[in-house]
Amino acid sequence: MEHTTHIREIPFSGRGVDCGNVLEFFNDTLPQSNEDEQIMRWLSPIEPVNRHHSVSADRVDGVGGWVLETSEFREWRNGEGGADRTVLFCSGNPGVGKTYLRWSPGSLREVNITDSLKY
Amino acid sequence: MIDSLCHQAREGDIAVAGLYCDFLVQQEQTVANIMRAILKQLIGNGIIAVYLREEFKRGVIGFGGRRIRLYELMKLVKMAIASLRQVFICIDALDECPLRQLTGFLMSLRDIVQECPRTRVFLTGRPHIRENIKRYFPRAFVMHFTPKTEDIRNYLEKRLHGDNEPEAMDNDLRADIMRIILETMSDTYVGKSGASTPPIMYTHQ
Repeated sequence: MEHTTHIREIPFSGRGVDCGNVLEFFNDTLPQSNEDEQIMRWLSPIEPVNRHHSVSADRVDGVGGWVLETSEFREWRNGEGGADRTVLFCSGNPGVGKTYLRWSPGSLREVNITDSLKY
Repeated sequence: MIDSLCHQAREGDIAVAGLYCDFLVQQEQTVANIMRAILKQLIGNGIIAVYLREEFKRGVIGFGGRRIRLYELMKLVKMAIASLRQVFICIDALDECPLRQLTGFLMSLRDIVQECPRTRVFLTGRPHIRENIKRYFPRAFVMHFTPKTEDIRNYLEKRLHGDNEPEAMDNDLRADIMRIILETMSDTYVGKSGASTPPIMYTHQ
């Protein structure tokens, strides 16, 4: 985790307008100096979103995307392995690109998590 | 990975919380701090938010208040997860976590998935932490990532396309760079036989 040199808070309130998804908090920002922001800053100084933006900028479409289309990944994502198969560990040597796995844009339409929840 | 999951989660009440570990700031990566960072991304505007606001107004929490303890954090994280349809927790470079914290974090993670089995946890790290993970998650899916030649080629092409000094590049130099790096990388990652060698991929049951 990088030391943050600026504050970029994840919004505390107001779910995504379109989907009610906490995901939206990951990328959005709130104006400074409100109560929620103070609570968030108190809760954790770590700002994963800063590192995430940096990683996102360096990714290349489709690099390593095949990992995310394997049966193992789909089983894990869809919960097909049951309650004791909730963890997927992607191992690899330094610098091979584990951090930068990315779906090809065209493959995104193939799956929909919300249709495949098992329990 | 995070964006890919997020993209798919747009229509549901699904959250994706992510964290990148870094050995340069190991002192920050305590179990409590990791859980705080996860909780921060899952709070939403429900019961946890109401609770924290009330506690904040009373001065119980906040910079002038007491520190929140790990068992309280765990309780809040589990409550936040339970309020959602599904949560994905993605932790990158887990091997860069100090060993003592890694053990504690995996224990906490196991506690979460046992109580909230809809949670999905995606971890990346160097191969040597596989046994640590299997100790707490014996049936975890384990994949070993080795880039394909095509992955390396795509990456190189993007890097060359974004070269800061394009005037210093010509087709011959570009071709040489691609050829030499691909040969070197193929020997390192893909295997001596070159591009057609399939990546190593295995799953432990």
